[in-house]
Parts: sequence; C-alpha cells; structure tokens
Amino acid sequence: MKASKSSPFRFVLGALAASFALVSAGATAQEILTSRAPNREQLLIEGARKEGQVVLYSAAIVNQALRPMAAAFMKKYPFVKLTYWRGDTEEIVAKLSAEVRAKNVVADLVEGTGVGELAVEAGLTVPFTTPAADELPEQYRDPRGNWVSTRISYFGIAYNTRLVPPDQVPKSYDDLLDPRWKGKLAWRIGTSSGTPLFLTGIRLARGEEEAARYFDKLSEQKIVNFGSGSARTLVDRVIAGEFPIALNIFAHHPLISKAKGAPVNSQLLEPVNTTAGTMVVPKGVKHPHAAMLLADFIVSKEGQEIFAKAEYFPVRTDVAPLEVLAPIVPKTAGVKELFVSSETLNRYTESSQKIFEDKFR
Amino acid sequence: MTTQSDEAPRPGVMFPGLRLPDALRISPLVLILIAILLVLIVPPVIFLVNASFHETLPDGSSGAFTLRFYRQLVSGRFFLPSLANTMIYACGSAAIAIFIGTVQALIVERTNAPGRKLAFLAAIISLGVPHVLYTVAWLLLLGRAGPVNDLIKTLFDQHQALNVYSLWGMMLIEGVGFVPLTFLLMSAVLRSTDASFEEAAMMSGASPMRAFRDITLRMALPALCGLTLLIFVKAFESFEVPALVGLAGNVSVITTMIYQSSRRAGSPDYGEAGAYSICLVVILFFLIVWQNRLSQNAQRYQTITGKGFRPRLIDLGPWRFAASAVLIGLFLAVTVVPVGMLVFTSFLPFYEGVTLDSFSRMALDNYALLIGPGSFRDSIVNTLVLGAATATLVVPFTALCAWLVVRRAPGAAMLDQIAAVPLIFPAIILSVAFLDVFVNMSIPLYGTLLSVIIASSVRYLPYGMRYAFAGTMQIHSDLEEAATISGATRARIFFRVLVPLLASALISSWLLIFLLSTQAVSLPLLLVGPGSEVMSVTLFELWQNGQVTELAAMGVLWIALMTMVSVAFHMLTRRHQMAV
Repeated sequence: MKASKSSPFRFVLGALAASFALVSAGATAQEILTSRAPNREQLLIEGARKEGQVVLYSAAIVNQALRPMAAAFMKKYPFVKLTYWRGDTEEIVAKLSAEVRAKNVVADLVEGTGVGELAVEAGLTVPFTTPAADELPEQYRDPRGNWVSTRISYFGIAYNTRLVPPDQVPKSYDDLLDPRWKGKLAWRIGTSSGTPLFLTGIRLARGEEEAARYFDKLSEQKIVNFGSGSARTLVDRVIAGEFPIALNIFAHHPLISKAKGAPVNSQLLEPVNTTAGTMVVPKGVKHPHAAMLLADFIVSKEGQEIFAKAEYFPVRTDVAPLEVLAPIVPKTAGVKELFVSSETLNRYTESSQKIFEDKFR
Repeated sequence: MTTQSDEAPRPGVMFPGLRLPDALRISPLVLILIAILLVLIVPPVIFLVNASFHETLPDGSSGAFTLRFYRQLVSGRFFLPSLANTMIYACGSAAIAIFIGTVQALIVERTNAPGRKLAFLAAIISLGVPHVLYTVAWLLLLGRAGPVNDLIKTLFDQHQALNVYSLWGMMLIEGVGFVPLTFLLMSAVLRSTDASFEEAAMMSGASPMRAFRDITLRMALPALCGLTLLIFVKAFESFEVPALVGLAGNVSVITTMIYQSSRRAGSPDYGEAGAYSICLVVILFFLIVWQNRLSQNAQRYQTITGKGFRPRLIDLGPWRFAASAVLIGLFLAVTVVPVGMLVFTSFLPFYEGVTLDSFSRMALDNYALLIGPGSFRDSIVNTLVLGAATATLVVPFTALCAWLVVRRAPGAAMLDQIAAVPLIFPAIILSVAFLDVFVNMSIPLYGTLLSVIIASSVRYLPYGMRYAFAGTMQIHSDLEEAATISGATRARIFFRVLVPLLASALISSWLLIFLLSTQAVSLPLLLVGPGSEVMSVTLFELWQNGQVTELAAMGVLWIALMTMVSVAFHMLTRRHQMAV
C-alpha cells in the first residue's frame, strides 16, 4: 500500500480506508479488480463505502459528459465522492506515467481515446474485470483484461455545402485525387487521431504498396496541414469557408452544426475509420473497489446513455446514439467500417508519421 | 532580507564588498537570492538536460544515454530552413512590436495628445485576451473567408488577394500581439527618464525628431535592448502563431518542428524538445551576457536624481490631435478589431464570415452554455488566487534582484542570468518538468494550487525582471547614497527610497504578471488535480473540444473579467496616489 501524497489529510484517510477495506474483504487490490465472485457487487459496495472516494482521469467533455456521469454515479452510490480531471491523450499519459513512476497514484480509473494501449504497453496499468464488458461486441474488450472500450468515434470528411456542389462531393478515397481539390483539402496533424489515423487506415485497407502509390498521388494535392486546434475547430474553419474540405474529422461534428443551419455536411468514405475510447486501471490504484464500481457504471446501460446524450457513440448495442447522428453510423449508412484499435494505431503511428513527413510536409 | 551584513556600508558606496580585490566575493543577500532561484530553477533544468541526453522509455522514465537528439536536431533536413524562418519571424515580430509600442509609449508619456491615458486601458484589455484566441481572431479577420479578403475581392475583383498563412502573416499577428507588452514596458522606461534633457536639446534648436533620436532613444537604449531581447526570445519560443498560422502555410519554425517531432510516436518523448531547449538556453546565455556588457555603463543612463524627476510633456500644438489619431488607430488595430471579431463570433451559432445573414442569427446560446453550472464558476476563485499570488511573489522578488543587479552588488550579474532561464523553456516542457518534480516530492504539493503558483512564479520571473530592471536602471544612486549618509539601513533604503520611486513600474509589473499567469494553459493543466482547476484549463478544454463560437464567448467573458480586475486595481492604486 503506497501512501498518497496529494494532501496529508487524504493520505491518512486514504491509507486508513484502504487498509480497512482490504482487511474486511480479505483480498489484495488485484484480487478485487479481477474478482468474478458471485457476491462481487456486494464486496465492491462495502469496500467502496470505506474508500469513500474515486478519481477519474478522462478525455471526455466536462460539461456534457463528465459532470452528468459524476452526478448519476454519486446518486447511485452516495457514499463515494467522484472527482475528475480532464486532459487530452498526451496530457493524460504524461500525468499517469509520472504518477506511476513516483508511486504516487491519484487516478483510480483512466478513460480516453488512444490512452489505453499506450498505458498498457508502458506497463502503467493492471488488468481488471467488469462483468458489463461481457455484453459488448468482442472488438471492444481486451481478452487479457487490460482495457475495456467506452465510446466509439467514426471518421469521415467535412465539406462546405456552398463551396462543394452536391454532385462533386468526394464519395471515395480516390475521388480525393481529383485535381479540382488541389490546395483545397485540409487535415489535422500533430495527434495520432489526425494524419496517422488517416494514413494507417489506407495502409490497412489497401496494403503497403498500393497505399504508397495512393499517397504519392495524394501528396500532389498539397493538403493544408492544420497544426493546432481540435478536429472540431477544423470543421469550424470549413464552415467559415477557409477550406472547402477537411479530411479525417469526427463524422458527427458537421451533422451537429448542420442541424443549426451551418453550410456543412459530412461524408463517409469506405472503409470508415473507426476508433474506440478505452478505460484502464493504473498500477498502484488507491481505491480499487470504487474504481470497479465506476468501471461497471461507465459501460452499464445507464452510463452509456449519458455518453450518448453527450454526442458520443455508445459501445453497447442496446443503447442508440442521438438520432441526429445516426446517419453516419456505418452500419446504418450501409458502408463498410474499418476498426482501428488503439493497439493497431499505436503500432502504425510512428511509420505513418514518417510517411507524412516524407510526402506531405 | 539580510539587512545588516558584517560590513557597515560606507557613505557613497552601496556595496563595500565590490572594493575588495577578491573577485569571487558575493554579498550575502545576493547569495540568498541566488540560492532561492537555483532551488526553483535547477530541478526543471536537470529534467531537461536529462531528457535531452537519454532515450525516453514508454513509461516516461529515461533509458540509455544518447546524443541522437542533438544529432537529429542539427542533421534534420528541416533544421536550417526552420532556423532561418525562426530568425526572420522573431526579428520581424520584435521589430513590429518595438516600433509600434515605442511610438505609442512616446505619445502617451511625452506629449499632450488628448485622451492618451486611455491607451493603458486598451493595452490592459488586449493583455487579457488569451493568445490562442487573439490569433484565432486575427485569422477570422484576415483568413481566406474573412472580411478583409472579401473587401479586397469586391474592390479589386481578384480571386484571392491576401494569404495570411505566410511569414508576413505570422510576423504581423505575433508582432501586433506583443504591442501592449512593449507599450507598457516602454512607458515604464520613459516615465522614469528625465525629460529635461530633451527640453534642453529642443531649446538649443534641435528638432523634436533630433531630440528623440539623440536624447530619448539613447537614454532608453539599455532598457530598449533588454526589451527587444525579451520580445525576440518570446517570439523565438512562441507556439500559437507558428502552429495556427505557420503550419497551415507550410512555414516551419523551430517550435513547430519540435512539436511535430515530439508527437511522432504516440507516447511522450521529450528528448528532442529537451535538446532544443538546452540549445536555446545556451544562445540566451550569450545574449544576456552581451546585454549586460551593453548596460555596463548604466550610470550614464541614470536620470532620476534627487531633483524633481517627473517628466514634463511636450506641447505638440495642433499636431496633438494627429497624435491622438495615431493612438486611436492603434487602439482599433490592436484591441478593437480582434476583440470585436471575438464578440461578433461569440453571438453566432456558427461562423461563416461577416455576412448580413449572420446578424439575424445572433443569439446568447454560447453564453448560456458557459454561465451554466461548472466551467467558469468552479474555478474562478482558484484563478484569482493563482494570479494574485504569482504576481505578489514575483514583483518584490524581482525588484530586489534588479536593484542588486543594477547597483552591481558582487555576484548580482548571475541573478539576472539565472532569472532569465525560464524564458526559453517551452511552456509544455516546463510543465512536464514541474510535474516530475512535484509528483516525486515528499511534501504533499502535487495536485495543489500551491504547486501551480510556484511553477508560474518561475515561469514569469523573467517578465518581472525586465520590468523592474527597466525601472531601476534609471534611478540614480545619489538618492540611495543620501539615505545611506543619513544612516538608513539597506532594507530601509530599499523600502523607503527605491520602492516608492519604482512604484508605478512595479504596479504595472504586478498587473502584467497577474494577467499572464491567469491565462497560461499548459503549465497548470498537468499540475492541477481534481478540484484545483483554474479557468484557463476550462478554456483549453473548449479549445480542444469546443466550437469556435463557444471559444469566442469564453474569450469575451474572460476579457470582461480581466478588464474588471484591471480597472478595479487601477482605481485602488489611484486612491493611494500611485499612477499606473
């Protein structure tokens, strides 16, 4: 049991609570995390009652997702205080690795896109089991129990409806090679869900040789490198008319703006790159009982409905995404989907980044 | 503060130690200050040096020794073009900022142009605008679909007239962005320069231009050099403008090059960024040594003596209205237009250029979202505490350091050099370094607001230093000598003679550091824990996930809040008879 250093008060409280919890349950933290005992939930609730708190690090939006998630969780388990810290993938990994190395772990559960596999590979996590994961499609859970998916993202292109006539909208990756789009395409660089994901998707779908030929042609389009700012702000620039077309953006963002009357729409290209956010448990977790209650809750129907309302795509098949977003779910649209797990993306990122630097920079 | 050292001050000599042949002699006070600085600055420096010479393992710890990052830095095919771009960009931005800022400061401090004092308000409003938003506002304005290009297209019937995504666009946006800072610093300098020399020159028949060139400019030279250095380095290490403007136009500079390389793999890798920072530290070290030599003869520039020193104003006659027009023009360009652009955008559901249609769509939705639970309300107290504490720590500390440096206390030159080091750390590197320091501390500081305050005090030390330095340089030692003769201790001299003379510079410095530290994003982001968030972190979240229109609304609220704080501060100090 490592001592928390975040505050002397928390240190004493945390140490006391944790040791009580362990004594009463008679189990190590790892046993709790991977418990499949029939009375698991009962044990977790008793333990969490003593732990009294749980800390979530997440990349989800605070107002629409984390805040309602915390409120609903604390309504269900009023004896656990849920606090959260929000950062992007890069920040989450930096903070998590610093905490684990210093054996001063504040986070109990870590959720985000691209965080999972990075953290697992770096040895920053421990395996865990949540029964709710059994209800998810197979690709959304790790057979070794290191991570469980929490939400899905579909990628597509955004186009300005004033600048791109309906009959000219690119419908396939090859349509992007049309000379009329030279200098008119933009994409987001500097993050693994940006250019590396786009390039990796093509490599996976077409094989290296054909992909290389495609990239040679694509590089002649002189794509604008959108350097700083989110995929969302890139869509905003398409709306503003700065760029007629943006590649590799979250396909639901244009739909949300379109519903407000903005001159923008999204188009799926086959196969649709799909990624999933995941959650992991850090090594040296201080509140294992409460962490497991929270993990259960996030993939429960109730938790997934909160994500769905926050404009995310749920991992559960029995929770539907927002109606306005349904058109870009590949299954609904009848378009083939290419699931790029964070493990795959992580493996390809460095080489895709090199392709970017050689051909597109 | 050690007020009484072993040696009693002799009349006319501030630091008797200077007379001793032993060059290594350091006054005890300086020693204490150096020790404080080292404690604050050495840990992140060690982290950087370490990162630059070692492989970063996937879990963030350091692996085998390597020189690969330095090799990569120098041998990369982007290095030389990027370095050239960086130099042009940093020089250009500094030139624009210094030129406009100096003109503005001259008009405000030296002439009787009507309404000139409002320039301070304008500068403070601009300083309250987070840099990222300021850049976005300029891009909305000058971008391909912006009103400026629309106008040019209509007037000249050209397909596309302006491409802001270019070196000149970067220099313009960055340079204009620094105008409020240069203006405030330059007016601090001018305010403490005796205008009687200029008057004497003009009485003897010199034209105002000549008086300006031969007297004003020369007297302000050391301070001006320091300021130029500050802006140059600031632009050199700036990130927002190169990333938003430069990358989109394929203009690569050093910072964006590092950014791209540090994001090459998925996991954190600070090696190349570390190598780059170390190179910059070395360059900066030489620049500061050079600047120190330049100000070696600082005595020649001391103009605040025992006699009345408040400068008198030059009567411009009818030209004073032209001077006011220049100020108004600058106010429009530097503050009104970009802030106006943000205000306009903040009321829209989406931005598609300045069109008549847009006006009919205006609504308060974005504000409703922000004022709702959370966001602002949770973090406002933390933010104000952070800004006030940082400024309150930095200002007196740097005033004392600057005084010792200017008075050439033995060893004090080192203070200046050490205090300038944080300037060249890219903020993201500094925050990772501090994260590493705090999370490993046995004192439970990690995740607390106090840790953010300590880190941002270090980050903004150099700004406080420049301000205090500019002010102190021109205070003649005869006042302090007079006090010494009358038996005052050094502490008494510092507090009763120096601080009142410096008051206006120190107050501006306080406000500046307050404004800068409250809007810093990457520094607090990694250091705060759940519950100790500050507002800029919320801003960052919006930046990552939000729409441009929501960001604009957040910016407008922010500017309003910062303006309120500044105005309140202004009124408070005025009541105490201190001009800001």
